[in-house]
Amino acid sequence: MSTDTTNTTEQKPLPPVNTLTKPFWDGCREGVLQIQFCNICDLPWFPPAEACPRCLQDDWEWRPISGHGAVWSWIRMWQQYFPGWSPDEYPYTVALIKLEEGPYMYSTLVDIDDKDVSCDLSVEVEFRTVNEEITLPVFRPSHGTTDR
Amino acid sequence: MTQTSRAELRNLQDKTAIVGVGTTQFGAIYRDLDPERSAYELGLIAFREALQDAGLKRSEVDGVIVSRLPHYGRMCEMIGLRHPRFVNVLPGEGRQSGIALQYAALAVANGLADVVACIYGNNGRSSGARYGGEDRGTTPQAMFEAPYGMTSPGAVTAMMFRRHQYRYGTTTEPLGHLAISNRANAALNPNAVMQRPITMDDYLGARYIAEPLSLLDYCLINDGGVCFIVTSAERARDLKHTPVLLHATSQASDITPVYVADDFWHEPMSQIADDLFAVSEAQREDLAFAKLYDNFTPTMLFTLEGMGFCEPGESADWITPERIGLHGELPLNTSGGHTSESYMQGWALHVEAVRQLRRECGDRQVADAQYGLYACAAPLATGHILKRDDR
Repeated sequence: MSTDTTNTTEQKPLPPVNTLTKPFWDGCREGVLQIQFCNICDLPWFPPAEACPRCLQDDWEWRPISGHGAVWSWIRMWQQYFPGWSPDEYPYTVALIKLEEGPYMYSTLVDIDDKDVSCDLSVEVEFRTVNEEITLPVFRPSHGTTDR
Repeated sequence: MTQTSRAELRNLQDKTAIVGVGTTQFGAIYRDLDPERSAYELGLIAFREALQDAGLKRSEVDGVIVSRLPHYGRMCEMIGLRHPRFVNVLPGEGRQSGIALQYAALAVANGLADVVACIYGNNGRSSGARYGGEDRGTTPQAMFEAPYGMTSPGAVTAMMFRRHQYRYGTTTEPLGHLAISNRANAALNPNAVMQRPITMDDYLGARYIAEPLSLLDYCLINDGGVCFIVTSAERARDLKHTPVLLHATSQASDITPVYVADDFWHEPMSQIADDLFAVSEAQREDLAFAKLYDNFTPTMLFTLEGMGFCEPGESADWITPERIGLHGELPLNTSGGHTSESYMQGWALHVEAVRQLRRECGDRQVADAQYGLYACAAPLATGHILKRDDR
């Protein structure tokens, strides 16, 4: 694979932090995975949105979630679409996690060889600091039970 | 949970027809990269050909729907249409080609326009489109995906296919059969971009893009323009070609924040199938061919299962070279589809359906084409049955 276009000085994409999403990133920095819940109907949702998709009301709050989920599916990305991944990082793993609370979240897997990954693998969140502002939630195989 | 099909769809049955089709030369311009090539120019070439094909005068066109072309004004200006009575713009995504036909048919059937030209132009290859990595986190979805390197329609399809493998034990071999079949058909299509036949070894040896999918599961990235012209069935009978009627059409959806659907879009595709086969006298066994949206080969598996050609999880066994080939029970993507003919986001599949029903397809013509299916499985899904009108 050609690496001519790889500019290793360029950073991996970072999420822009805005008023709506700031509590999510603040939580990650403190080691807490939280998503929005409707105060009227208790529906959780992700990614962030301005109102409950069921009630259509903006009476919601950020609530910590269990951090547990399962791998819905996963891929190994070989194609260089983004800057910031060095040649030796390919292929990298992307997983789609179905959170215990219901919503889905794209992420990656840590502490596991790709050969051991399978759909429906139980996982739990941990956090990887990127910079002062951004800490990314990632998922590792969960060894305990989900009821902590 | 399939809702009852909608009897009102009969109101559109056989009311409108595609009477003119045009496509640019996909293979020739693939080999002639031109950074200055505009999508509008490609749309213009296709429109000119479709108009001539229909035997219509430009002044008879009073409706225009453009897709992937950013502005209707520029297109209308370039094709000299100053006073159209029905105009719409659809984004450049594959889900929209079937919707363009639906809008055109609705407009014509309800008197908003007499003749609607649906025009698509795509200069993606010349302009360096990669279909991945463009959005580094600006949209509400991408900002939670790009930091992990998640991007591209191919990668979400790979996610769905991996899940299908896990759930049903599906191997990549049926995907190989689809890619090989598309290429074999393209070899009989002088206008196709990729004409060199491929083998299962080629398929299995192709480099990964988003594993488990590899290069030969992917659509091409190429330039081109497509146009189809829609008018009333009544009018169509006075024009030069055998009319191809929009016999049945339906739309359904499963819109999630992560694009994928846990049932591989079975629910929307089965709703569409229920609608189409409730309205039509033709059933699955009466279809001379199917044009299945093949941005990536697994999409065809999801479509076949969702539309009831086989049970969920059984498409891998259902797909055999004999069944899907030009002389098979259900020839698929006779032009070579998106993986071998041209990635025109469903538009060229519509044109191929028309040409097959007119029986103009030469070496790749299927026998006795009377009814044909178009279907696109996606978060926004469409399907039609087109019918040759022999009256």
